[in-house]
Amino acid sequence: MVPVEHILYLAALLLTAGLAIVIVKRNAIMVLLGIELMLNASNLNLIAFNRLQPDKIDGQMFSLFVIVVAVCEAAVGLAIVLRVYKMYQTSVPDEVTELKD
Amino acid sequence: MSLTSIMFYFFALVAALSAISMVFVKNVFYGALLLIVCLLSVAGIYVLAFAEFVAVVQILIYAGGILVVIIFGIMLTSRIAGKPLLVQHANKFLGLLVSGVMFVLLVYLFSQQSFTHTSLPPQPEKQIGKIGVGLITDFVLPFEIAGVLLLAALIGASVLASTMKSNRE
Amino acid sequence: MNDQRLYSSFFEICLALVVILPWLSGLVCLILPENRSRIARVLAVVLMGLSATAAFFIFISCWNNTPYTHQWNWFSIASHQFSVGLYLDNLAAIMLLMVNLISFLVHVYSIGYMARDDQQGRYFAMLGFFTFSMLGIVLADNLLLIFIFWELVGFSSYALIGHWFEKEAAAAAAKKAFLFNRIGDLGFLIGLMLLWTNTETFNIDQLRNLGEVFSWQTAASLCIFCGVAGKSAQFPLLTWLPDAMEGPTPVSALIHAATMVAAGVFLLARVDFLFTDSSLNVVIVAGAITALLAALAALVQYDLKKILAYSTISQLGLMVTAFGSHAADVAVLHLFTHAFFKACLFLSAGLIIHAMHEAHHEASVHSDVQDIRNLGGLRKRLPFTFVACVVSGAALAGLPFTAGFLSKDAILTSITVWKGDDFSWRWLVLLSTFIVSFITVLYTFRLIWFVFMGKERSTAAMTVQEPPIIMRLPVAFLVACSAWLIIAWNPVDYAGWLYSSLHEGENSHINWMPFLSGGWVLLACTTAYFLFRNGNQYQSELLLNNFYLDRVYHASIGKPLMHLIRITNYLDRTVIDGTIHLAAYGHVAFAHGLQWIDRFIVDGVVNGAASAARGVGLLTRSLQGGKIQVYILSAVMAILIFLLWTLLW
Repeated sequence: MVPVEHILYLAALLLTAGLAIVIVKRNAIMVLLGIELMLNASNLNLIAFNRLQPDKIDGQMFSLFVIVVAVCEAAVGLAIVLRVYKMYQTSVPDEVTELKD
Repeated sequence: MSLTSIMFYFFALVAALSAISMVFVKNVFYGALLLIVCLLSVAGIYVLAFAEFVAVVQILIYAGGILVVIIFGIMLTSRIAGKPLLVQHANKFLGLLVSGVMFVLLVYLFSQQSFTHTSLPPQPEKQIGKIGVGLITDFVLPFEIAGVLLLAALIGASVLASTMKSNRE
Repeated sequence: MNDQRLYSSFFEICLALVVILPWLSGLVCLILPENRSRIARVLAVVLMGLSATAAFFIFISCWNNTPYTHQWNWFSIASHQFSVGLYLDNLAAIMLLMVNLISFLVHVYSIGYMARDDQQGRYFAMLGFFTFSMLGIVLADNLLLIFIFWELVGFSSYALIGHWFEKEAAAAAAKKAFLFNRIGDLGFLIGLMLLWTNTETFNIDQLRNLGEVFSWQTAASLCIFCGVAGKSAQFPLLTWLPDAMEGPTPVSALIHAATMVAAGVFLLARVDFLFTDSSLNVVIVAGAITALLAALAALVQYDLKKILAYSTISQLGLMVTAFGSHAADVAVLHLFTHAFFKACLFLSAGLIIHAMHEAHHEASVHSDVQDIRNLGGLRKRLPFTFVACVVSGAALAGLPFTAGFLSKDAILTSITVWKGDDFSWRWLVLLSTFIVSFITVLYTFRLIWFVFMGKERSTAAMTVQEPPIIMRLPVAFLVACSAWLIIAWNPVDYAGWLYSSLHEGENSHINWMPFLSGGWVLLACTTAYFLFRNGNQYQSELLLNNFYLDRVYHASIGKPLMHLIRITNYLDRTVIDGTIHLAAYGHVAFAHGLQWIDRFIVDGVVNGAASAARGVGLLTRSLQGGKIQVYILSAVMAILIFLLWTLLW
């Protein structure tokens, strides 16, 4: 069987890729995609640890709830992105600088 | 090298490649599509890790629900109809540097640990029944709260989206 | 007369009056405006008359008495006291009388002569001031005071010669007179310094009683003689006197015949104890040269006043020669007589000039009235002037029964005694003196012949009248003084009442001298008659221009001096001014440099600090740009650093 560390390495890769997407991309939708990717990475971590204890289902339950939360967050986030797009006519987060000092 | 290992490495490779190319791709639509690919391969990994229900849920909800909604959002926020939405990259060097360092750090930390490697039970039990029972008994509180959360998100998103037409500022 | 008569307070009052009244007259005439000049004139004459009377009283009291002295403290430097004082002995008394008397006569004369002048106030003021200065020289008891009044006399002479300063010749002549005086005074000052260094006193009485003869006395006395040469027109400083004839004739009479030029001889007489044998030799040579040169020059002049001027120089030379032959009293004697007859001659010349001016004015003709080639045959028109000129001319020539005869006799006697019996260069001096007296007769005769004898030349058609009485009276008085009586009762013995009082000790008398000189003069008269009888003019460019002495001075001293002046002017303008300009430019350049430093370096540092702070601020501010992804990046970086720090350390 595949050692657990490999799954963890993959999860780490997905996490850092999602982080890179969030920082680098100049589009709000891409940022959301990056966030989804990071959530998926954490899910993968949970499932990997769950494989170490096959008689328990804690990992799977946890990841189910993570998916639920991700769904909520994606919905609300998209609504916000659409609102911001309507207001500022741009989907580039750098151009929305109302919080600027 | 058993079949499961090969399949795992295959799915892992697909997921990794799609994730990495998502970083460098400029077209938002391509990014969303790549994310679907990644999610599907992650679902495959879930199956190999004996979490079938989660895998199915992942495909259904993530790939089928969220990504579709996101693609709707892409279509709605592209300024010029017909032309593909292209993004610029900002803070490329710093972002990649930070991510790279984080990856190396994580890999290093993981490699320092030794996880107890247990062998798998010869037969997989029915997970889905366990999950159902667990939802009602052990995890009833998170279950209910998740429901409330969904409700709140539903209402909130509806409110946010519905005032789009009436308030034009 | 008693020897020890006390000086009464009346005497002191007279003394005060004598000194103050001329000064007062000068001041009053200066202050009064020109339209009140009538008052000024009358006042000046009255004050001078009072002064002359007071002088007469003083003379009577002082004659053959112990000298009167009085001193006031002036100032003191360290331990030395300087005082202002009066010293009246026989010499001073006789000089006092002479100066005041002649000044008074000239004042009276000037009222008539300067009647048409428009600056009479200034004229009388300077006359009064001059008299005061001259009295200062006569009465002072120390050499420093004499020097001060010496300078004042020089200044008065300058002011009076340049009375008509609008005429350029007059202004130039005044300058020249002052300059030559100053050159002489330089020597005088050096002499005074030598005197002070060695004796630490200026007082004449104290100097007289020094006792032995010192070596420095030669130098000091020669330096003082320089001052005398400047003032009394001795060789080589004699060219200013002919030019000084540009002044009014009464001024020439007073200053350049009788008093100022005599001040030099007076000074010699005052300090005669300072002169050693060697310095006296120098003095006598200078005097003899002067006498000869001037006499020769006077022979061919055709300007009336210039003849008299050269004659004055020649006579002064004779006085100095007499002084050089160890006979200061003889010099003073000749000074006394010369003052009267020369003043008389000048005033008569003034009469002629005045009469000619009046005649020309009426006939509206202009020519040079002083040129004797234009005059002639005036004895019928101006009889009084003719007589005056003849009598005083006879005194100048040294005809017997005149005062001039006696004083010239005295001079010849003293030189004869001095020369000794051995044959030496001294015989040459005696010979030149005889020649000078010969020539004196010649030019006097020439003067009188050409002006009064013969046919009238340019004045035939004009009406010529004698000048007014007010001008003739002083001349008459002076004519009387040309007679022998003012010196001695005996017309052939010069050792009369005047001389005996001046001279101490035995008189050296040569019995045959009066006859020799009398015969010599008569010989000269006949020679002159035959020479000039036909109106021959003997021309000589050399003598006419006074041996070109002026040109020599100009070339030897004037030109190098002008060259030096040009050089120093150039140096001053380029070097000194250039240095100053350079300093100024350097200053400005330095200021610019400082400004540059201030702007770029000092301000640069400050501005740089400010912009550095701004840059750093901007940098740190950029984290708060409102960019969400930058926030996320910063947060992740912080976490990463934290993780790295804690987990790997």
